[in-house]
Amino acid sequence: MLKLNVLELEKSEYTGGKSSLCPGCGHDQISNNIIQAAWENGIRPEKIAKMSGIGCSSKTPAYFLGKSHGFNTVHGRMPSVTTGANVVNKDLSFLAVSGDGDTASIGIGQFVHAIRRNLDMVYIVENNGVYGLTKGQYSATVEKGSKKKKGVANQQAPIDLCAMAINLGCSFVARSFSGSKKQLTALIRAAMSHRGMAFIDVISPCVTFANNDESYKSYNYVKANDEVLHILDYIPHFSPIEEVEVPEGEYQEVSLFDGSTLRLETLAADHDYTDAVSALSAIHQSEKAERHVTGLLYYDDNVPTATDTLGLSETPLVELTEDLLRPSPDSLEKVNSGFRS
Amino acid sequence: MVMHKTQSHRRDLASSRFVIALGTKRAMEKIVNDFVVNVATANGTGSQSSNLIILHSMFEMGVPVSGKNLFPSNISGLPTWFIIRASDRGYQAPGDGTNIQILMNKDTWIKDLEGLEPGTIVVYNEDVKMPVERDDCVLLGMPMTKMARKINPKLGRLIANMYYVGAVAHLLGVEEDAIEKAVKAQFKGKEKAVELNIQAISEGREYANDNWDFDCQFSVESRDKDPDTFLIEGNEAIALGSIYGGISMLSWYPITPSSSLAESVINWLPELRSDGDGGSTCAVIQAEDELAAAGMVLGAGWAGGRGMTCTSGPGISLMSEFIGLFYFSEVPGVIWDVNRVGPSTGLPTRTQQGDLSMLYEASHGDTQHIVLIPGTVDECFEFGWRVFDYAERFQTMVFGFNDLDLGMNRWKTSGFTYPDSPMDRGKVVRSQEEMDSMPEYGRYRDVDGDGIAYRTLPGSGLDPILYRGTGHDEDGIYSEDPQVYHDAMARLKRKIDGAREHLPAPVIREEEKKDLGVIFYGSMENTIVEIDDMLEESGLSVSTCRVRALPLHSGVEDFVRRHDRTIVLEINRDGQLFGIIRKEFPAELIPKIHSVSYSDGMPPRARVYSDMILEVLEGL
Repeated sequence: MLKLNVLELEKSEYTGGKSSLCPGCGHDQISNNIIQAAWENGIRPEKIAKMSGIGCSSKTPAYFLGKSHGFNTVHGRMPSVTTGANVVNKDLSFLAVSGDGDTASIGIGQFVHAIRRNLDMVYIVENNGVYGLTKGQYSATVEKGSKKKKGVANQQAPIDLCAMAINLGCSFVARSFSGSKKQLTALIRAAMSHRGMAFIDVISPCVTFANNDESYKSYNYVKANDEVLHILDYIPHFSPIEEVEVPEGEYQEVSLFDGSTLRLETLAADHDYTDAVSALSAIHQSEKAERHVTGLLYYDDNVPTATDTLGLSETPLVELTEDLLRPSPDSLEKVNSGFRS
Repeated sequence: MVMHKTQSHRRDLASSRFVIALGTKRAMEKIVNDFVVNVATANGTGSQSSNLIILHSMFEMGVPVSGKNLFPSNISGLPTWFIIRASDRGYQAPGDGTNIQILMNKDTWIKDLEGLEPGTIVVYNEDVKMPVERDDCVLLGMPMTKMARKINPKLGRLIANMYYVGAVAHLLGVEEDAIEKAVKAQFKGKEKAVELNIQAISEGREYANDNWDFDCQFSVESRDKDPDTFLIEGNEAIALGSIYGGISMLSWYPITPSSSLAESVINWLPELRSDGDGGSTCAVIQAEDELAAAGMVLGAGWAGGRGMTCTSGPGISLMSEFIGLFYFSEVPGVIWDVNRVGPSTGLPTRTQQGDLSMLYEASHGDTQHIVLIPGTVDECFEFGWRVFDYAERFQTMVFGFNDLDLGMNRWKTSGFTYPDSPMDRGKVVRSQEEMDSMPEYGRYRDVDGDGIAYRTLPGSGLDPILYRGTGHDEDGIYSEDPQVYHDAMARLKRKIDGAREHLPAPVIREEEKKDLGVIFYGSMENTIVEIDDMLEESGLSVSTCRVRALPLHSGVEDFVRRHDRTIVLEINRDGQLFGIIRKEFPAELIPKIHSVSYSDGMPPRARVYSDMILEVLEGL
């Protein structure tokens, strides 16, 4: 008998088309985690809007959530399209996938401003440090000294998207690894339960152009240098609280907008996810040690979203009928006579 | 003649010579409601209020009047000119010359003076302390700054401008009531400002009356004013139109000359678009740049909203990639271009029709866009709401094409007319029943034969697809198949071509004798009557055809067929509409179509264009 989720839907309701990425690509694992997270969270597929830009990662919305509407937009400009769709239909759950080229280079402006507005969306960057579709050029997130399969080592300082997001006041910032199924699924599920910008930087090795050991984003390197902040458990709002296996005091619980909980079983005791300085310190220390810190880096449930600050009608704007969208003939008479006097 | 009592001896001598010259003119009859006043001031000195008071006071008297603001790209200090033209014949172009010149600005003083025709009346601020060396002009000085400081030492610089309002009112005989009404409208609700400025204007008028012994040959005379009329900027008219068009998202990035369009929407939303519970029914987002502004319109349109942005040429250049995505993925959206002078940053505060061909084929690859081109403020309002219907009907991005002249200057209307048809939301499948009744639904399948497919909205769960800018088949699935691509592009062509007869038809004023047809568009409407009159003085019989949309309506081609010769008249260098016509019209018509195109940043002056037309005709 097939397993059903809370909506009594099979997992197949959440799958998509066949991937055309390279076999073994980290992105396909992330797609599987997205499918898993959306299914387990019991979100209606049609209420999800899949958004992406251009690049290998941005192709993936074709490979998951086949029953969701989506838009594969232009390079680096996914956030603005999401913004327009979000403000006219705030009831949609926006799930966006981008890459390190799409976000950290051509689209960095839109990334920054989507965070500033605290757009209500899940924003996943599938970060491999290279441009795959154009055959392996370095991107802006590649570490200094990291070397891809061909060519010389990168000499430029990297852009750390998580540090940037925290500095910009992003309300949910996490980092994970495409090979960490449990951690990543928990983070995506938590991101989906969050209201506001939930940013997850997922290190996702490029098996074709940068999976050599000298690449800091190769499987072997990340596996050996993953500095895990905490073990994550996601407890959905519709399921009874599970037995706590960890002794009290050794875990923290993050209450999410939809009533679900993300439990952090604390390994790194000195990390405070509510404190931006602590989060930035964790990032910079692991960067110094040439390691990757993963887990929930920063969380703030008290940031108004883009639609909160716009003072919009309670009803999503797309549902408003003509009588609310077009002012009355009398009102136009008033406008005209106001100009006449 | 110039009877300013404090003037230097030299000036008195100079002007006394002029008395003789003007002696005969004095005996002549007054020139009523036919003159041009040019005000030279510095940007940021508050002179705009004074100029608008002159304009509105004459308008109050029923004098047909128009105003042009020639301003610099600057916040404060650089020169500004304001041209006011009164014309009982209804001419609204700046006119050939200046009859009354107001000099307030030290920086342009010498050049402004030099450029005047002999006999021009010059009203100048004595306190600027600049030489006034034009023996052949009528020189009328007034210590405007000193007088202003007496009323209010702090605001002297601003209030000084009100003294020339008084001077002009005196010279032309503008009624006190009209001035008062205009001042009150200008400083709505600010009683102290109203009082202060009326005092300054009255003092200016009195000073002129007491000190200038000069009988001005120009005057204003009241006309029956239609009580329904008022003056408004095209940008505000578009803003109101969009609000009545059900705009649900405005994204914008500040750029002259389109910012006032967005700001007008923002100003009017609270009054006109509240849902009754204090919520707004339209989102406004100031975007990080024009690319984002266009992306937001795309997102809003895709989600089922009515998204709009407004910009100028540089913004369109930045939006071009998204414009291609609108076209190819078939998402409705609205972009208003308020044209300024290009290329590049160009002359940011001057006017031009230089973006037309860019709009028509914006973005890479084969594209073609619907462009609505209002020529009056009434059409600014009408196209402001209609544009959303076209965008949703044809599932594409539709441009509104305005320019700085129509957008930022004030033009007459008798009041805006309420939309005569309900909103057209286009072909949207909204329920499973509707979906089931369609035998062969596909997002890009042309089931009706008009090139327009049906769409569903995100959130509906009805046939969800991944929209994309990549090649796609009739079901929206990625495809690189040659036939699929070719057919998709052919359908898009058919779709936009099919819009021609639905778009606003050209406005044609036709003579019996079909000597010459003049095709023009947009803000040239405000100059065409004068051009027409000038051409007819030379014995020609002139018909005119104002294009109001691209792709061109068949009425334009018919107009060309009916006339011996046709001129396409434009405010740009290369004749952009002419280029489109030459590409699209049958080859046998092309030899009788000629381009007259001129752009220097100024609002069109009738004489320039009529002379060019005559020159072209002579060369045929």
